[in-house]
Amino acid sequence: MTPPRRRNQPARKPAGRNRATNRGKNRGKNRGSLRGSTHVRLRAALLVIVMLLSLFGARLFQLQGVDSKAYAARAAESGLVSLDLPAKRGRILDRNGVPLAESVAGTMIVADPTRTTPHAEAIAKILAERLHLDYFDLLSKLTKKNDAVRFVYVARRIPSTLASSVMDELKKHEYAGVDTRADPLRTYPAGDVAANLIGLVGDGGVALAGLEKNFDKQLAGKDGKETYEVGGGNRIPLGDNSEVKPVDGKDLHLTIDRDVQWYSQRVLQQAVQTAKAESGAAVVLDSRTGEVLALADYPTYDPNKPAKVKDGLLTSKGMGDVYEPGSVEKVLTASSLIDAGKVTPTTKIRVPGDLPVLDRHIGDWFEHGLIRLTMAGVIARSSNIGTALAATQFTPPQLHDYLAKFGLGQRTDVGVRDETRGLLPASSDWSTLTRAQVAFGQGLSVNVLQMATAVNTLANGGERVTPSLIEGQATTDQGQAVGTATTTRKRVVSASAASQTAQMMELVTTPDVGTAPGAGIEGYRVAGKTGTAQEVGGKCNCYADGGTAVSFVGFAPADKPRFTVYVVVKHPSAGASGGGTAGPVFRKILSYVLQKYAVAPTGTPPSTLPTMWGKDAVRAAREAAKKGTE
Amino acid sequence: MSSLINSARDGVRTRVPRFAEAAVERARLTVVPPRRLGRTQAARTPFAVLVLLMLAGGVVGLLMFNTNMQQASFKATALQDQVNVLTAKEQSLTMELDQLRDPQSLAVAAKHLGMVAPSEPAFVRLSDGRVLGKPTPATPDEAVKINPMPSQLPDSLKQKTIFVKPNPKAGITGGSPVPGTSSADTPVTSTTGTRANGKKKATSSTTADSGATR
Repeated sequence: MTPPRRRNQPARKPAGRNRATNRGKNRGKNRGSLRGSTHVRLRAALLVIVMLLSLFGARLFQLQGVDSKAYAARAAESGLVSLDLPAKRGRILDRNGVPLAESVAGTMIVADPTRTTPHAEAIAKILAERLHLDYFDLLSKLTKKNDAVRFVYVARRIPSTLASSVMDELKKHEYAGVDTRADPLRTYPAGDVAANLIGLVGDGGVALAGLEKNFDKQLAGKDGKETYEVGGGNRIPLGDNSEVKPVDGKDLHLTIDRDVQWYSQRVLQQAVQTAKAESGAAVVLDSRTGEVLALADYPTYDPNKPAKVKDGLLTSKGMGDVYEPGSVEKVLTASSLIDAGKVTPTTKIRVPGDLPVLDRHIGDWFEHGLIRLTMAGVIARSSNIGTALAATQFTPPQLHDYLAKFGLGQRTDVGVRDETRGLLPASSDWSTLTRAQVAFGQGLSVNVLQMATAVNTLANGGERVTPSLIEGQATTDQGQAVGTATTTRKRVVSASAASQTAQMMELVTTPDVGTAPGAGIEGYRVAGKTGTAQEVGGKCNCYADGGTAVSFVGFAPADKPRFTVYVVVKHPSAGASGGGTAGPVFRKILSYVLQKYAVAPTGTPPSTLPTMWGKDAVRAAREAAKKGTE
Repeated sequence: MSSLINSARDGVRTRVPRFAEAAVERARLTVVPPRRLGRTQAARTPFAVLVLLMLAGGVVGLLMFNTNMQQASFKATALQDQVNVLTAKEQSLTMELDQLRDPQSLAVAAKHLGMVAPSEPAFVRLSDGRVLGKPTPATPDEAVKINPMPSQLPDSLKQKTIFVKPNPKAGITGGSPVPGTSSADTPVTSTTGTRANGKKKATSSTTADSGATR
């Protein structure tokens, strides 16, 4: 470019000089006016350009400065898709990995009545047939009442495949106005099995009760988000694109065995209904590990139909309600006495028909005069008086400490939110009457798992193993670590005291000797103990009006325990007893787990501890011999 | 330019000795003959073609790449749809399977076959053929109820018999009330108050009927 410029410069310079001189000389002449008009044109053009540019500038300011957000939103609306990526809620599994609660992608069907009205009857017919809904109900939903209602729920939480096949059918007939939307679905495949423990998730994914609520943080995970541009329904490859991946919830593994839980619930249900009782609970523990195989509650509910759940049913009543354990507690007293060296199973006790303590009289459940029972006989025949007499060898703090070591009055902390602590009164408040009452299970209260764990101590050779409901380790929303990984073991009584107590308990299920022959299993050595506790309640807040709680606890095989089962039936109609009502439930559940886990009888000779001594023993032997000859 | 050369020549003349004049004459700058320039111009064409080709190739390549990406995007969308459908199907089948494996439905099926849970477990030890436990035949009495008993009606829904005491002051009929009848279905009673009550119930029931037939 430089060479031409150099060449032209000398040529231009004179011209420029000329122009300058001309401008002065020839103003007003033709040539001058022409040159002037160019100038005007230039200026006019400049003006136009400036106006245009300022117009553009103003518009730019309007777009970017004033309305920018509205336009950005409109642009986003037209092509930008923003999706919530819901995290998948973790499953709740039983000990074999069978899901008790799981999440699936469900669908809801919604409709716009203003558009469905012309074909309302035909649509309602299809939906009613395919989804098993009420035709008339559907018809009224699909018919327009006014223009304001443009959205109705037709059906919720239905499997996606069913929804899409229904939609295909509607599309085939060209019926408009029905649409689907995602509706995450929490299902409980086993229905009411362990429902009181697991709880449920309500509408909108809010955990309402049970383990679902207590482990919500772990189960829920974290939702993600995705934004991308679409054109014609397809993602634009190089368009705006951002994604935050969801973090799925973690599964919760329980120690519950679904089948054992189911069987326990059904047996319990039958017993509670037959006895016309108010409620019931049953616990199955693995004696060695303290794992809860089943924790059944009745009444229960079906978490798949949350609308039908009655108030107060959502939680485990067995864990949440306290009651007095009654006679089953005698085995704890007896084993403590043996451990302390105060008694042996053959210790001779004179049991009067009536025992006055302070201002009260302690009686037995059966009428008798003075009888001569051994300690084993006191347990086998469940004598309150005998137990109270034996317990006089303990000072209140001694008995209190033993019971506290058995875990009474302390939460088991297995991960159930509504668990009650129970009540073990401080020994400083004990009178001699309290000591006598506590010795046979009155004046203190427990929850079912507490009591089952306490007796399981005897099954586990005198070592208390903390129970667990969660396999491995999990942290509750309150930050408490629970599970089999946190299990602790603590010796409460000596192994020999535990086995001697087990031998005494064996007599309970021995025919003609104990209070619950119906609880024994043919061929097995079964240790058990009945319980009938009066409950405080009613108008007078005394034992008379409160009703009873009948129970049975035990384990098998008695000499090598594998399972501990505890059954409580609360407020049965009159005539129920621990042996007669709870005993058969115990036997059925126990024989089921023994069979399921293939625990064969040990084949050792059964316990032959004497239950009576002196004259009574001779008379009993004579009667037995007479019975045998007949 | 010429003045520059002249001055250079003057400079050379003044500085170099005379005997080198011939060499200086030889070293004088001369204009490159146009022939050579022509050859360079001829070499430019293939370069231009190459550039054009690269340009065209780039544009076409980019276009094809873009098209390909779009095509892949369509395919991805279609495959994603397929994944969604298949996932939903899998979940439905899993749910169905779970339902079939549900202990309750298994128990119902077993019950239909006439099966009863054994009351006394017993085992055969395979190593020596010994029977452990006492084998006892299971009886229907031992069967566990797998379905809940029919639920009892709440008290509010139970049919109650209401006895109506005649008002001695009104004394229209004066007789003893008819036992075993409820106020709802006895429009004729001794007192006006209950009659009105009965009438009211009757009207409300007719509206309910009309509601049902609608």
